[in-house]
Amino acid sequence: MNSPILVLVLAGGKSERLHALGRVRTSSALPFGGKYRVIDFTLSNCAHSGLFRVGILTQYAPLSLQHHIGIGKPWDLDRRDGGVRLLPPYVRQRETNWYRGTADALIQNRNVIEDAQARHILVLSGDLIYKMDYGRLVERHETAGAALTIVTTAVPESEPERYGYVATDGDGRVISLEEKPALPSGETISAGIYLFRSRNLQAWLEKPGLGPDLVRDVVQPMILNGDRVVAYELADYWRDVGTIDAYYEANMELLRPVPTLTLHDPDWLIYTPSEDRAPAVITGEGDVSGSLVAHGTHVEGTVRRSILFPGVHVAPGALVEDSIVMHDARILSGARLSRAIVDKGVRIGERAVVGTGDAIPNREFPRDLASGLCVIGKGSEIPAGGSIGRNTLVEIGVREVDLAAGAAPSGVVVRAKGVVR
Amino acid sequence: MSHVSYAMILAGGLGSRLCLLSEKRAKPAVPFGGKYRIIDFTLSNCVNSGIFDIGILTQYRPLSLRDHIGIGRAWDLDRKRGGVELLQPFQGWAESDWYRGTADAIWQNWDRVVERKAEHLLVLSGDHVYRMDYRPMIEAHLQRGADATVAITEVALDQASQFGVVRTDAAGWITGFLEKPKNPPAGKISMGVYIFRTAALREEMELDAMRATSHDFGKNIVPSLVQRGRVLAFPAYGYWQDIGTLDSYYRANLDLLSPEPPFPLQDLRWPIFTPSTEYPPARLGTRAHVRSSIVTHGTIVNGTVERSVLFPGVVVEEGAVVRDSIVMGESWIGPRAELDRCILDKRVHVGRGARIGVGEALRPNRGCPEHLSAGITIVGKASRVPGGLVIGRNVRVAPDLVEEDFPREAVEAGEVLEREGESAHAGSAS
Repeated sequence: MNSPILVLVLAGGKSERLHALGRVRTSSALPFGGKYRVIDFTLSNCAHSGLFRVGILTQYAPLSLQHHIGIGKPWDLDRRDGGVRLLPPYVRQRETNWYRGTADALIQNRNVIEDAQARHILVLSGDLIYKMDYGRLVERHETAGAALTIVTTAVPESEPERYGYVATDGDGRVISLEEKPALPSGETISAGIYLFRSRNLQAWLEKPGLGPDLVRDVVQPMILNGDRVVAYELADYWRDVGTIDAYYEANMELLRPVPTLTLHDPDWLIYTPSEDRAPAVITGEGDVSGSLVAHGTHVEGTVRRSILFPGVHVAPGALVEDSIVMHDARILSGARLSRAIVDKGVRIGERAVVGTGDAIPNREFPRDLASGLCVIGKGSEIPAGGSIGRNTLVEIGVREVDLAAGAAPSGVVVRAKGVVR
Repeated sequence: MSHVSYAMILAGGLGSRLCLLSEKRAKPAVPFGGKYRIIDFTLSNCVNSGIFDIGILTQYRPLSLRDHIGIGRAWDLDRKRGGVELLQPFQGWAESDWYRGTADAIWQNWDRVVERKAEHLLVLSGDHVYRMDYRPMIEAHLQRGADATVAITEVALDQASQFGVVRTDAAGWITGFLEKPKNPPAGKISMGVYIFRTAALREEMELDAMRATSHDFGKNIVPSLVQRGRVLAFPAYGYWQDIGTLDSYYRANLDLLSPEPPFPLQDLRWPIFTPSTEYPPARLGTRAHVRSSIVTHGTIVNGTVERSVLFPGVVVEEGAVVRDSIVMGESWIGPRAELDRCILDKRVHVGRGARIGVGEALRPNRGCPEHLSAGITIVGKASRVPGGLVIGRNVRVAPDLVEEDFPREAVEAGEVLEREGESAHAGSAS
């Protein structure tokens, strides 16, 4: 029997505000929590909720994501009926276009929606971190007889202006959804989880001249039009990791003595493709505390309050503090890292210091790099004895020649010469 | 391209010298090195050497092994052609029975060899930890036109008596093969890795089947072939460890922790494959002290861990100390509990403040003195050690004990703890 629900995961976006981290991959494929990608949370929610018909809409830098999803095996999505399908934009006989927005992506996949003959369409974002049983959402949606159910959550403390505010009447019916208001008001925001009754969504997608954005051009008009749009509250943990600060904080929260999001719940494990790495080795000189450590790591130095992804090597005498270090990065002996986000394959030379000096905001991106973090882009190499300041952005593939005297002061952006940005 | 493409792995034996660990599972399925089972090394050697057609001969308690291997996906052995197949004894219309020995196991499955028209056959053992590229050995076997080729390694003379001892001539041909001799003449031993010319093996098997022998490769087939044919020795000098005894099991695990491990598990060119668990990364708390240890996904450490191997899902609570120990999957070490030179099987529960491995190794274990005398205390699967209890060295604690099954007072060195009137051989494997 076909599942009555078709899940469509929006995973094609480019997160400008993640800079080097978000340029090599779409934000859904961002490494998170020591062994996961952000989209694992959404896909694991689907698996735990018994939803096994999933389409993933891709567009920006999809290769990393495509490789990660494969045939969907880790989420039990390799199925005869249903399963996972990647839905990239493609060339057509008439009008060919990239997805111009979230609604446009759905319009271009109208045939997928029609063929599914599903009762409801669950539209999710691949770049959010939360655990949720969608089954209960579906139940509520059906009993309410809703055309659309918008999942809501409490507004996060930082950057409240990034979200869409939902106002409801006393019966839980949505009166308005205001996107990124200049002056945010209210406590309840849209969690980026939309459950449409299929025929209602299809009717909207068929409207001629429909705009490209799902919220502005479908959801808000539905509310204005008087369609039955209701709210469903997600009271638990929910994070949008679309900025460097939010990404860093969400990772660091996992290290708290009692984490706000537990990865250890045996009834709600987060699934991801496993790598064939050896167990983590901590040597006699190694010292690790307050940290998450993945398989394939080799720690000979000191690691405090940090997250080490598979294959990271911390050499003797190196010190890693309050940092996120992604796959196969090498921290050579005597190097020191403080509040750094180090992308895959980075090499930090002997005695190099990363994250030092005054925390003056980044000159080019003061909004995105002001809290004292520094970012080292994928595959970059910091030479021995080098020094990288705070709020410093070292772009992808930077080499010794790109760093004057091996150093970059606080608040600058270092780019690889000859590399098109 | 080699002519050797089919391997049979002997994985059926009862590993009595591994004491409790192999009581409920075949020896090749015994957990090892934090996330592996012993057979992973042989299977990974096969696929890393380009051999993707494998039969595994099982007999003794195969369920755990069967669960582990599944369809062979972890080793890329879920294939249309070849792949992996578990060959257990079955009843049929012809003469068939329980396997009477390692050679008989293969003889009863000889159809498998015939079907493949295999000119040569690789015969391996599922209970060794080693890393070996079989290709150079295959090449030597073919080039020298041997009836059989036996991989050899060197061990200390005093240990050689546990193995098949080999004597060779200057050209590398084997002139003598003694299985487990009392007074070994030299330390050159067989690693239990054989390549046979199928026709030569068949002849030998036919003869052996008619004789009243142990139907064993090491005891019967290879020595007889040495007498009658051309058997080549192939020296392999990498790390090799037979997991035959509790001591060698313990030592091989701790070898992984030495500063210069003889066996780099992290070598990406020769990965050791195993089915992965779905646990999150290891979580080392703010009060954790972990040194010279292996930790795996799903472990949570808030205490002290030194020179130990923690398998997936192990929890070490605050103030607990784990020293020189091997702790298998999902065991729980309560607050302020202490382990010293212990092997804990899966899902053992150590109550708050309990101390296991205390005092001197005054006497060997009453039950298995020959295998439990070096000071290691072993706790069987899923037993629940009561809080505050003190347990000495060389103690064996049976699986599945509950708090009430334990004595109130300290347990002295060399004791055996089991539920009264119950056989230790009951229960299911995993």
